[in-house]
Amino acid sequence: MSTGHKQLTAADIVAHLDDLPSLPVVVMELLDSIDQEDVDISVLAKKVSYDQALTAKTLRLANSSQYGLQVKATTIQQAITYLGFQTTRSLIMSAAITGCFPEGRCAGFDDKQFWRHSVATAACAKVLARQIRFNQDYAFTAGLLHNIGRLVLVSSFPDHYAQVIAYRAEHDCSLLEAEQSVLGVDHVQAGVALAERWNFSDTMRQAIGNYLTPEAPGAGFLAALIHVANAIVCALDLAQAGDDMVPPVSLVAWNALGLSEETYLQLFRETELRYEEITAALLH
Amino acid sequence: MPVTHQHLPLDQVRPGMILSDVLLDAHGQVLLPQGAVLTENMLSLMPRHGIAMLPIRAPEMSPQERAAQQDAHRARLAYLFRKYDPANPDDAATSMLHSYVTSYRLGQGEPA
Repeated sequence: MSTGHKQLTAADIVAHLDDLPSLPVVVMELLDSIDQEDVDISVLAKKVSYDQALTAKTLRLANSSQYGLQVKATTIQQAITYLGFQTTRSLIMSAAITGCFPEGRCAGFDDKQFWRHSVATAACAKVLARQIRFNQDYAFTAGLLHNIGRLVLVSSFPDHYAQVIAYRAEHDCSLLEAEQSVLGVDHVQAGVALAERWNFSDTMRQAIGNYLTPEAPGAGFLAALIHVANAIVCALDLAQAGDDMVPPVSLVAWNALGLSEETYLQLFRETELRYEEITAALLH
Repeated sequence: MPVTHQHLPLDQVRPGMILSDVLLDAHGQVLLPQGAVLTENMLSLMPRHGIAMLPIRAPEMSPQERAAQQDAHRARLAYLFRKYDPANPDDAATSMLHSYVTSYRLGQGEPA
């Protein structure tokens, strides 16, 4: 098919990463601090507090019932005291990233729907993680970011991506197939490129890179968890995307979680309840 | 029972509405049981417990409304799972997800 554009390469994606909106400096510092032992938390908390919008959003999320705070946190420092540094950092990142991409750049791309799907996947991944005693902060952040490559492509190549959306509608295929046919690259590659540029941890990078291929050698457990969360969110129709489609579920990933039907039915319910709350905190 | 709850912000909850889930406080203690009929007094105490939203049972539906809703759920599930082939043995995990979500939406014991 004639796309009217030449196909893209991984190098094109990387070359355009610098044009993307950047995260607030303090969020980059938080990302860098992941592997550091001697971070001065109070200095970071103070820096975050200078960004009022970011602070307000972070606190809304921290005070949502999924964290069960009895006393509301009114400052970042309090959130750290009540929830711990790890959790607060993941909340700050979530709040920053959901606000940093401009909307409405690409014809046919529904930014709101994109974020509804991402937030729902984050909520579901966290609920699954708690059930199987996996790190809930990793699960939440990876769920929120699993599709971030799509925003990279939409922001860097809006005209190309409008054709991807048209191709998908015409062929009723998955967005991944449409991306590969029209662009020659896909959102998984773009997501990994961004994860490298933004210094995401190896765990996060692997999850973004493998969430559609969790059976690949070295894919990691988080990829399997996000794979299943992504499919559940589609099946529960949480993003309310008219033309949504449940992707094939990997048996390897499904068995890795090893949950019973009874457990899943409870987790579906809990995911729906959490989703509505987090949406209210992050997207409104 | 299929899902018949809505998660409402406190200012939209009225006395007489029914809790669709047990309500816990931050320590996991039961504040109100599932099925509790909310009163003015109960609602006024919620902010003290840091509760801003409540799971509320959706209003009773007539048999016709209920049948129509079940049909809509069935049609939507069939559409969402349109690429899934029950005859394909490689799709075993998709098959389980399909079956569980169908039970969840339509009630247990419904044919998928």
